[in-house]
Amino acid sequence: MKDAVTSLPSAVSSASRRYAPRTWMLILLTALVAVSVVSLLIGAGEVGPQRVLGLLLSASDSEAQFIVWELRTPRTLIGIVVGIALGVAGALLQAISRNPLAEPGLLGVSAGAAFAVALALVLGASAATLRISVAQLGALVGCICVLSVARFRGVGNDPVRLVLAGAAFSGLLGSLTSLMLLYDQRAADEIRFWVVGSLAGRRLDDLVAVLPSLLVAAIAVVMMARPLAALALGERAASGLGHHPTLIRWVAVGCVALLVGAATAIAGPIAFVGLVVPFVARAFAGPDIRRTLWFCLPIGPLVVLTADIISRVVVAPSELPLGVLTALCGAPVLIAVVRAKRLTML
Amino acid sequence: MDYSSLRKGLIGGVVSGLLLGGLLVSGTLASVAHARTLDTAYGDVEVSDAPQRVVTLYEGALDAALAAGVTPVGAVTTRGGDNVAEYVEAHFSGERPEIVGVVREINIEAVLAQQPDLILAAAQLPEAQYRLLSRIAPTVVPHAQPLAPDSWEAEARLYGQALNREAEIEDAISAVDHRISELAAAIDDANAGGTAVLARWMPNGPMVMSKALIATGLLAKVGLEVQDAGLVDEGHPHSDILSLENLSQVDGDWLFLATLNADGQAALDAAKQSAAFTRLDVVKQDQVVPVNGQLWSSANGPLAAQAILDDIENALLP
Repeated sequence: MKDAVTSLPSAVSSASRRYAPRTWMLILLTALVAVSVVSLLIGAGEVGPQRVLGLLLSASDSEAQFIVWELRTPRTLIGIVVGIALGVAGALLQAISRNPLAEPGLLGVSAGAAFAVALALVLGASAATLRISVAQLGALVGCICVLSVARFRGVGNDPVRLVLAGAAFSGLLGSLTSLMLLYDQRAADEIRFWVVGSLAGRRLDDLVAVLPSLLVAAIAVVMMARPLAALALGERAASGLGHHPTLIRWVAVGCVALLVGAATAIAGPIAFVGLVVPFVARAFAGPDIRRTLWFCLPIGPLVVLTADIISRVVVAPSELPLGVLTALCGAPVLIAVVRAKRLTML
Repeated sequence: MDYSSLRKGLIGGVVSGLLLGGLLVSGTLASVAHARTLDTAYGDVEVSDAPQRVVTLYEGALDAALAAGVTPVGAVTTRGGDNVAEYVEAHFSGERPEIVGVVREINIEAVLAQQPDLILAAAQLPEAQYRLLSRIAPTVVPHAQPLAPDSWEAEARLYGQALNREAEIEDAISAVDHRISELAAAIDDANAGGTAVLARWMPNGPMVMSKALIATGLLAKVGLEVQDAGLVDEGHPHSDILSLENLSQVDGDWLFLATLNADGQAALDAAKQSAAFTRLDVVKQDQVVPVNGQLWSSANGPLAAQAILDDIENALLP
């Protein structure tokens, strides 16, 4: 497993010398379309590819119609949006912390969002309403806490120590969340299944509700790409090019909070996507953050949708929560990255 | 002290009976004396003739004690709640038991504080806990039984023996049987039967409950055709959470919907947020019955059976 994972970037980067990034982008987009189609064809139910394709000929199969349009289409769209949000958030977080291990799930940003939602539930809100803004606020607080830890002398220079700080922070928030759930049984019922991320049963309304904040984040990220690339050259170089490193960082933190908060509000915390996606994207795009961000767009949804399709079929007629599956697949990647001989500094 | 003096009294009774020379008299007294040694999961346990301070560490034991006319001084909470199950409340006459923990986490000090002379526990009580508890008072643990709709009856009979109120428990059990046959006849007359599924609604889909629970057993006995769509493994109380894509498998004539906590209506409201749920025939025909999960999926005993039968009657014969 470790060999396969560590050799992936080198294999891909040697391949990327053969093809232009533009060609890779085309291949990835084709793959994304293919996975999206598979996501409509396959599920935990009895409606398999044949019945779905039968819909193209006649629309008389109402069961298949319902499952494809009302269940699989929303979750595919949500998977695409969540994948993009988490992938881009991971890339941003890694760029501003200059740390290849920075990941919203590992650093406590997702835990912050989950904690905020749990707190809101205990205080009387119902899960159906208001959790988006609450989750985003929690993600923002989580981001700021962990990055201020990272600002302590020495910690910022060592990727693993940042992850340790994040793990401690996640642990703290996780136990506070459990404490609240012990205290309030009603909230426990509402949130118990939500604290493990999943795309099942999420509604398009939720997606529509987070679109404005995602749009704001998208515009900000487009405007930030160039300053972030400058920041990669070092603080002084960035200042010399007319950018403000502190401002860049704060705007990026805001974007991460918007993106992770939105993704967590729709699907619950989904770990490791924010780690794996930029990791793979860098292998295709090289170190330039501007290109990495573009590559995150197809790779994020590819990872999330593939994991979601697997989560539907492995324990049919039930489903494995997506958060469990990404944690199972993502943890070995993390270990492989940490154990790689040379941990690239960003 | 109490206990040994009672035993002395009992032996004295047997001896004087023999002295009176009536073989018949001595025979009945001997059978009483015999009944006070109970066959439990941890061997024979001797219990006093008239326990005064009873602590129940299991919902089924609390139910049986109340059915036998004994209000325990201590009890555990219902699963997922802060107090005893709501259906039990009606059976308290003034006094109510102190809470001494939850089923899986008994507060031994709280039990000790009640100074019980009899402890009624669940069949699943771990041995280490049994050893501690039996030093406080005689502790009665029923033999473990397979998951079956009627398992509660044998447990209730043992608790009845321990309380020296076997007749009351027999009455309560036969009252349940009587009620079942009445209700079954009424449902048959009203032609209100059909297929039924008991499910627990979770935020991401339903769990189908086993056909071997007391609630599903009662549904079957009053004439409904209880289904689990083949999803529940033998010996498991419920299935895994079903994918929304497979929701049509819980469709039928009746759907009884519970949550882990009390509010069945809240479960129904939550379920109605899902388009996969609202398109079921059983939902369109308004044949979904929101039920209290405390009662329907975790309680047992004769009083619980009566309360479940009340719910069934109210739903099917409005």
